[in-house]
Amino acid sequence: MMVVLHTIFSGLLCLQCISSVICTPQKDYFDEELLLKPLPSGHVYAYFQFTTLWDVDFEATSFQHCHLFPRALGEIVGRYNVQELHISLTEGLWRHETWGYPVHDAAPGAELWAWFKESTKNIDKTWKELAGALSGLLCVSFNFVDASNSLNPEFTFRPAGIVSSGAVNSSYLRYSTLPREIVCTENLTPWKKLLPCDAKKGLSTLLNAGHIHNTNYHSLGLHLRPVCRDTTCSQMSVELRQTVSLVYDMVILGTGNQDWSIKKLFGIGLSGACPLATMSNIYIDIALNETGAHFQLTPTPPAVITSTRGGHKSKFAVYDIKALDIDGMFNIAAVYSSSRVYGVNIPPVLFANRYIIGYGQERGGIVTKLHNGHWQALDVVYLENIPWFIPLYLHTLKIVANGKEIKPLLKRFIPGKARARPYYLEVALRLPARSITEISLEFDYVFLKWQEYPPDANHGFYIGAAVITSLLPVGRNYTGLPQDGSTITSSFNASRDGYLVQLRTETLIITMPTPDFSMPYNVICLTCTVIALAFGPLHNITTKRLRLKNKEQNYVIRWFKSKLTRSSEMKEKQS
Amino acid sequence: MGLLTDPGAGSGKFTQLLVASHNKLCVVLYIGGIIWFMILAHEHFNAGTYFSENALLPGLVKGEFDEDAVAKVYQSELFDEAARYPDGIPFSWLLAKFRQLNLDTYTHNFTLNSPLGLGMKYTGKNIYAILRAPRSSSTEALVLSVPYRPPSSVHPGTVPSVAIMLALAKFFRRQKYWSKDVIFLVTEHEQLGVQAWLEAYHKTTCGRSGVLEHGDMMGRGGAIQAAINLELHAEKIGYIDVKIEGLNGQLPNLDLVNLVHRLCSKEGVRHTFKNRENSNYRDIYKEWLHSFKILMAMVTTQATGVPNGNHGLFHRFGIEAVTLEGFEKKGRGSPTLYFQIGRVLEGLFRSLNNLLERFHQSYFFYLLPATDRFISIGMYMPPLGLLCSALIIKAFALWHKMQEDPNKAEPAEEEEAEEIKRAPSHSEKKGSSNHFSLVPVGMTVLLTHALGIALLSSPQMLGSQGLEYGFSTDTSIYVGYLVMTLSMLFIPLFACRNGGAKVESWTILNIVALLELATLLLCTSMQNFSLALLSAVLYILPSLWMVPTQSRVLGTLQKVVWLLLHPLCLLTLIVMIYTALSFPDEPILELLEKGLIATRQALVYAVVDSYVYANWVFPVATAILLPNWLLFWVVLHSRPHQEDLKTEK
Repeated sequence: MMVVLHTIFSGLLCLQCISSVICTPQKDYFDEELLLKPLPSGHVYAYFQFTTLWDVDFEATSFQHCHLFPRALGEIVGRYNVQELHISLTEGLWRHETWGYPVHDAAPGAELWAWFKESTKNIDKTWKELAGALSGLLCVSFNFVDASNSLNPEFTFRPAGIVSSGAVNSSYLRYSTLPREIVCTENLTPWKKLLPCDAKKGLSTLLNAGHIHNTNYHSLGLHLRPVCRDTTCSQMSVELRQTVSLVYDMVILGTGNQDWSIKKLFGIGLSGACPLATMSNIYIDIALNETGAHFQLTPTPPAVITSTRGGHKSKFAVYDIKALDIDGMFNIAAVYSSSRVYGVNIPPVLFANRYIIGYGQERGGIVTKLHNGHWQALDVVYLENIPWFIPLYLHTLKIVANGKEIKPLLKRFIPGKARARPYYLEVALRLPARSITEISLEFDYVFLKWQEYPPDANHGFYIGAAVITSLLPVGRNYTGLPQDGSTITSSFNASRDGYLVQLRTETLIITMPTPDFSMPYNVICLTCTVIALAFGPLHNITTKRLRLKNKEQNYVIRWFKSKLTRSSEMKEKQS
Repeated sequence: MGLLTDPGAGSGKFTQLLVASHNKLCVVLYIGGIIWFMILAHEHFNAGTYFSENALLPGLVKGEFDEDAVAKVYQSELFDEAARYPDGIPFSWLLAKFRQLNLDTYTHNFTLNSPLGLGMKYTGKNIYAILRAPRSSSTEALVLSVPYRPPSSVHPGTVPSVAIMLALAKFFRRQKYWSKDVIFLVTEHEQLGVQAWLEAYHKTTCGRSGVLEHGDMMGRGGAIQAAINLELHAEKIGYIDVKIEGLNGQLPNLDLVNLVHRLCSKEGVRHTFKNRENSNYRDIYKEWLHSFKILMAMVTTQATGVPNGNHGLFHRFGIEAVTLEGFEKKGRGSPTLYFQIGRVLEGLFRSLNNLLERFHQSYFFYLLPATDRFISIGMYMPPLGLLCSALIIKAFALWHKMQEDPNKAEPAEEEEAEEIKRAPSHSEKKGSSNHFSLVPVGMTVLLTHALGIALLSSPQMLGSQGLEYGFSTDTSIYVGYLVMTLSMLFIPLFACRNGGAKVESWTILNIVALLELATLLLCTSMQNFSLALLSAVLYILPSLWMVPTQSRVLGTLQKVVWLLLHPLCLLTLIVMIYTALSFPDEPILELLEKGLIATRQALVYAVVDSYVYANWVFPVATAILLPNWLLFWVVLHSRPHQEDLKTEK
């Protein structure tokens, strides 16, 4: 009986589904793209982007019926009133100095920032709940995100998508990083499940854990934002970008030469495009082919696109997987004509280093060095993200450019509070042309409560990356997508007034004064306590002598005493 | 109650016994302490080394290093290149080699402004390359450093170590397991280069500001966890000596030292400590003597407070570091080649790479009587405690005697009544036991210590003054110090003639001096045990004896002994003996001259070390030890105690 009822019920449900689909046709598109870029340092940069565009209003009810859009994510986003969501899970450090700029910059560890809708009431609570939900979705320790490690920076982060009202109110923004987070397969698997084709078909089949985690840098990204449906921008669409950035070191892959191929990088060839995808493209940056070591692509690219962006010309070989007639496994190989030669590195316009200064466990400092290689001054916004257990002093903030101290254009500082909120410092600066600017801050080392030390306490404590935001006037080394574009294709020939870069610096490890946490340590603690307790009596015994006390008291005291007793007697009588 | 303040409290039997036979007790304690320490070298009294840190996993994986042929090529190329730069560093060649391996390569410039000369400037250049770890985000780093020595250097060359470093860099570059950046560092000007590099890396100045300008550096690799300094003198190595003693007697974590020894034995490389291998005598005495010699070699090296290799400068920054010095194979037998050395270093770096936490387990305070035995701080402190307790017991006994005296020596007091009248302010206000003045004691202590501080801050002035009159820096400083210390010998003239000072005052001064010495020794032992031990052995027995006597002969003898123990005199003597031992064939006169020159230089080096590296042996010797010596000197010249006077009569 139950079984029959169940079948009928589910049949009805199905009918309802179909009818709803027919009534309101889901207008959504899925594009998968892969950009391969040999870097001048001999590394190969692979950037996957899976874009889902859904012509629907950004509301909680919209996510009840999903087609290509991952429903698991949609429910979370709808429930917590999210306007925009950015997640990155990264292992390794992007070396701007030698690699240029990535499409998406990400801080080592886990990084999460979100804009909430203006109707959201208790943002701190919603933020914590959102982080908790995402932690379950992606198997990341986002459950450790709360007010004590979250910021709402005023200038650094702007909404990446469209906003309904004109003014931007940063109180609806939350930003947090977990620099200690280790990114592994357990994050990749749930991340892959959000894709329409999972890892069954299409470019996502190339993402094999064994090969991804052998790279020098890998970063998973998830970016959700509302975009304009058309050029008039009268209606909204939802855009979800899932990205993977990988940097391969061909020396470590260990074949003795510079040649690379899809099979060598990912351990597997491509069996075809995802059937749900509207576009399935592979782009290979062949600009270096002309200036650096020469390589030959096999099979020969069906099309070559020349892109000029911000005065910088680059060339891309394009393979349209959908148009290819793939029989078996498809592979693209780059064969170099000469052996490896490392040329002189030309660093990008703006890059940064960060390090701890000083020694011992009393006082220290953090220095961030900003290199501006441009012939003009550059305006940057510098966001410092210091955990509460590193008390830093604003008066020690020193900004020195080429040996001369400079004044910041803007300064925002909210001192941290132990166990409640981190130190927030945001500085807007004008970096002089061709300069090295040092931003230094000093701090004290403090003791924590003994339960606050993490496991492996002597490993040290992490300080998250600083974020440096700038609008570059030139497009050299720039690979980012324009704000109005959704796919990698949109970045070709996309000259704009400025190119937004957000650099993340190194994360830092500092050694806090750490108790020993061993058996001898406990013994020492105990002994010290005993000694401290014994000291008082011993000191008394050795320095004081017992004497009979004089019974006769001071006249003044006696007078007071008699007064007191008399007054109390009076009171008693009165009562 | 009131053990110390109540005159009646010390009349117990035990106290009486202690006071009566304190001299014998002190001597027993002194000898007992020394014997205890000597016994520690025997294997029954020390412990075998072991690994405390589990994560090191020493030698767990098979070595894969196979670039020894490349190392040989590098070596021959570098020999050719070095010949072209007789007193410089062939940095273009080194930079090119590191760049070919696609490492982040940087140079680092530094300047030394001579602190004692006339604004002389010396410049140097370090080269370093960073292998960026593929598995982490540059939060931690390891260092492999080699001091580069040009052919003109007086020290044995290190070209083979540069060659093996490059070969290792090539090998490491291909590996995917690195989770800590590896920094390959080639330094110039011995310890100066490393110091400047470390200061620049941490952007601080350790010594006096303006002396060593550390300069700026471009690339960094996170917090440095450990460093290996490599000094190979030949391609064919006989044995590898592991050096550990650092600046101010600081030592690396014992786990790191063990790791080196373990990996050397694993790869079949002969390894030594203090150039001595482990012994295997049947005779228990010979066995002990062998260990004791190694132990004393370590104690004497550590006591100088001067690092015996470039590793010693890392310790201050919380970086564990050792030096591996490889000596050329002499005689028969198969030598150790690049292959084995490479495997040892590969194993070392893989183990260090495994570390999850900084070195924090195992011991930081220890003495080594063999490569695989150690004496921990818990074992070696009691002997020093015994030695120092002799001083404290002596002080206690003196105090007690002084408390008892007023009853016994009343007639003597009457004789001094005149003096008491002259200084009525310290008359018997405080009761019968405190009828002496603390003012002369305080004055003397203050004066001597102020003079010590003055001495400490005078070298720069002396140096520049001397240069004006055309003397070399070392002569002017030595002569200056000699004159100053000689004039200080006349302090007792003023101090003892000081009005109002009673016999008890000088006893108090004696007690203060004894207690100060004991405190100084115990405090020093916390940082540099060896220095404390040697000074304790030298100073404790004479200082116990430095009580003024009536006997002329004895008094003169005391003064002579104490003069010999004057820090400056001691320095001269030690350097003389060292010179005599180093050049046994020279005639006496030449030896004296050589010794004198060496002494002058030793003094200047001590000063410069304190300015550049913040070595504290010189400050402690001038600002604390010398004043303390002077206190005893004043005590010696004071009038003897009444009781002693009577007994001698």
